[in-house]
Amino acid sequence: MSDLLEFSSVSYSYRGDWLNLVHALTEVSFSVPQGCAYGFLGANGAGKSTSIRLVAGLLHGHRGTIRLFGQELSGEDHRLRARIGYLPEQPYFYDNLAVGEYLAWLAQLSGMTVARIPAAVDRVCQLLDLGDLKKRSLRSFSKGMRQRFGLAQAIVHEPDLLILDEPFSGLDPLWRARFKEVMSLERKRGATLCFSSHILGDVEELCDRYGVIDHGRVLEQGRLADLLGQAPLELTGSGEAPPGAIAGADGTWSLRIADGERERILAALPAERILRLERQKIALEDWFVQRIKGSHHAGVKLGVAS
Amino acid sequence: MILIVAGATCREAVRSRAFLGLLLIFAVTALLTRVVGWVSATDGNIVALDLVMSLQSVIGVLVAVATGTVLVQSEIQQKTLYTVLSRPLPRWRFVIGKYLGLAAALIAGQLAMAVIGLAWVWITGASLNPWLLLAVGMTCLEVLVMAAVGICLSMLAGPLLSAVLCLAVYALGHAVATLPQLIDHLESWKRTLAVAAAALIPNLGYFTFRGQAIHGHGMTATDAAVSLGYAALWIALLLVVSIAVFRRKQL
Repeated sequence: MSDLLEFSSVSYSYRGDWLNLVHALTEVSFSVPQGCAYGFLGANGAGKSTSIRLVAGLLHGHRGTIRLFGQELSGEDHRLRARIGYLPEQPYFYDNLAVGEYLAWLAQLSGMTVARIPAAVDRVCQLLDLGDLKKRSLRSFSKGMRQRFGLAQAIVHEPDLLILDEPFSGLDPLWRARFKEVMSLERKRGATLCFSSHILGDVEELCDRYGVIDHGRVLEQGRLADLLGQAPLELTGSGEAPPGAIAGADGTWSLRIADGERERILAALPAERILRLERQKIALEDWFVQRIKGSHHAGVKLGVAS
Repeated sequence: MILIVAGATCREAVRSRAFLGLLLIFAVTALLTRVVGWVSATDGNIVALDLVMSLQSVIGVLVAVATGTVLVQSEIQQKTLYTVLSRPLPRWRFVIGKYLGLAAALIAGQLAMAVIGLAWVWITGASLNPWLLLAVGMTCLEVLVMAAVGICLSMLAGPLLSAVLCLAVYALGHAVATLPQLIDHLESWKRTLAVAAAALIPNLGYFTFRGQAIHGHGMTATDAAVSLGYAALWIALLLVVSIAVFRRKQL
């Protein structure tokens, strides 16, 4: 599976207050394989949006290499961006354009042929319940409605890579669920998904790969299944409890075992005393907090150089 | 691509409340100019015509400054350009498209004001001549140059400062027209310095033709072509500077 998006040792700094140089990204490397859903995790100000804005062409002047669809991204080559759908964090739109004409305009800017635009606009309006609002201007839209329009404009031109910056922000539970459905549909269509979030439940539900960024550095990345597979096994049994087991109220006991101890412990216990062996569900929130805290203890700080 | 951006910018501008509000203010004030014409000691029709055309120019420039200085700057602050520039659209095309869209809206506004104002003074007894149309055209050129000044300054300073600077350019631009008479008595090096400094400001005197047109005096084709070329040159120069700055901006 080829990588659709690849960061290789990308660093990005900008001028902060006075002469201080703020290192927003430091030697960031990660890759998003074609067809996958990639969750970009990090606390506020970690560097998620900066990375995304570099890909979207809103920031430039990075060091290192960003490859998009196998080609190195340069400030002057804009054609690759026809294949990207981008939803910014807290999106703002022109107030005086109507939903339908705005979507058609953005689709046209993405290079979609005029003949295909009406059907594409109808498709996204139907997906995001904007059909009745097509003739309404965005001036009166609530935050959630703007977010719906934001997702609609990101997918209207059927992009190959969908980059969403905090897509669930400002949505009620019903619309969060609908957004997830739409994102799954886009994946089925063939789009690769890359979204940033600090809500780990969403990442767990939608993604098969993840990357954790903190203070401009990638701390960890990999397959989500591998991460969830790191959780210990829990053996539940009855009768005499083995050493280290915790007794339950109904005469059963439970014992946490690591993958490496599994065969030895199971062999030592009579089969009739084993009720079940399950892998515990990893508490992703706890894991994330520990991971970030761990990096802080290790001394990763926001780089400031004069 | 440029025309796609221009189309949306024009639609967005003409539907804005500020644009429609200023047109309304012009319409109401144009009605009142007739009263000034009635009470004036000189030819009331000429006074009313002069006021209507001056008002059209002033409101046109105010709209150009107000919209030009926030056109790209507000998009950066409100992040509306995120969804636009993340598409295959080079930044230079974005700036030119925005300018052309604004220019179309400003010309539409100028034409609307000209129709309302001239129709009103004609209905109330003033006689019109064809040179007035050329005067409207010259005012359009002045407004287009000021819009380009607004965009260029907004790339270098915040919206408020750029609006103040833009109005200063407008005042100086009209003062530059009278410069030759003012510097006649200066020593040669001082005169050269004054001329060089004045060259940094667009000479808006090239577009001031309404005074002559109201009295039925014409303009040669050469003068009209020079004014057109001068406006085109300044607009091109200001847009090139704007694009150079905007291309380097981090969004």
